[in-house]
Amino acid sequence: MTFISKAITAVGGILLAHACYSAQEHSALQSFRATSGAALTSAPTTAVSLPLDIVLETIVSTFIILLGLVLVTRPLRPIQWREWAGKIEREGEEGFKDSNGEVNKDYIGNPFAIFESRPNFVDIRKQRKEFAQWVKKEGGQKAQ
Amino acid sequence: MSSEIELQIAPIVQESLMHNSRTFQNLQSLTASLFGVSAGILGLESYSGFLFYIIFSLLTSVLFYIIRVAPTSISSGKKPLDTSRYFLGAVDFWTGGLMNGLAGFILTWTLFYGLVSA
Repeated sequence: MTFISKAITAVGGILLAHACYSAQEHSALQSFRATSGAALTSAPTTAVSLPLDIVLETIVSTFIILLGLVLVTRPLRPIQWREWAGKIEREGEEGFKDSNGEVNKDYIGNPFAIFESRPNFVDIRKQRKEFAQWVKKEGGQKAQ
Repeated sequence: MSSEIELQIAPIVQESLMHNSRTFQNLQSLTASLFGVSAGILGLESYSGFLFYIIFSLLTSVLFYIIRVAPTSISSGKKPLDTSRYFLGAVDFWTGGLMNGLAGFILTWTLFYGLVSA
């Protein structure tokens, strides 16, 4: 996703640079004609506005860069506490990644995690059962 | 008073609010200078330049809404064009960028107008 949006921005930038160069050349040509045409008096030296293709190229390239820049923005986060907390519970770190796939630096996770890991709430019997299973499994592997 | 009660009932996460508005403001100031570049290339003067800026700035808001806000906002049950899932003020979202990027726009507009037509 990030590669696509950067590629879109780069293409738009090239088009915009080309349009800029064309417009600059056009205005240089106009001023050249104004100075040389006065001596010849063959052609009317009225100022010609920017050709339509340069105008279109400028607008289209602006739109393409705009699209690329919007695509490269970071995903938003819900501001309502209940939606935000629900997102954390459902998605965890997955929901708070930027476009490069890294977890945001200011991601704090569940703000009540400290309550859920209080010693009073540790299920000691479950942990003991898990430990016994682990010992059995490791012992079985050693014996083999 | 009523808004205080509302905030008590439905609290708001300040970090998320700041993250969202910073993301949107970065986009707006970046794109405003881009619009200045193209307005300078087109050689726009006075009102037409500002009109160009207003149109493209609103287009930025619409594109940002379509790409970043709409997919999750509509699936969570919000109406179309409702930004209340990610931003507090709707008017602020749609027109806040006009003032935000105006300085950058005028800077690059005058610069590129001078570069191209000189």
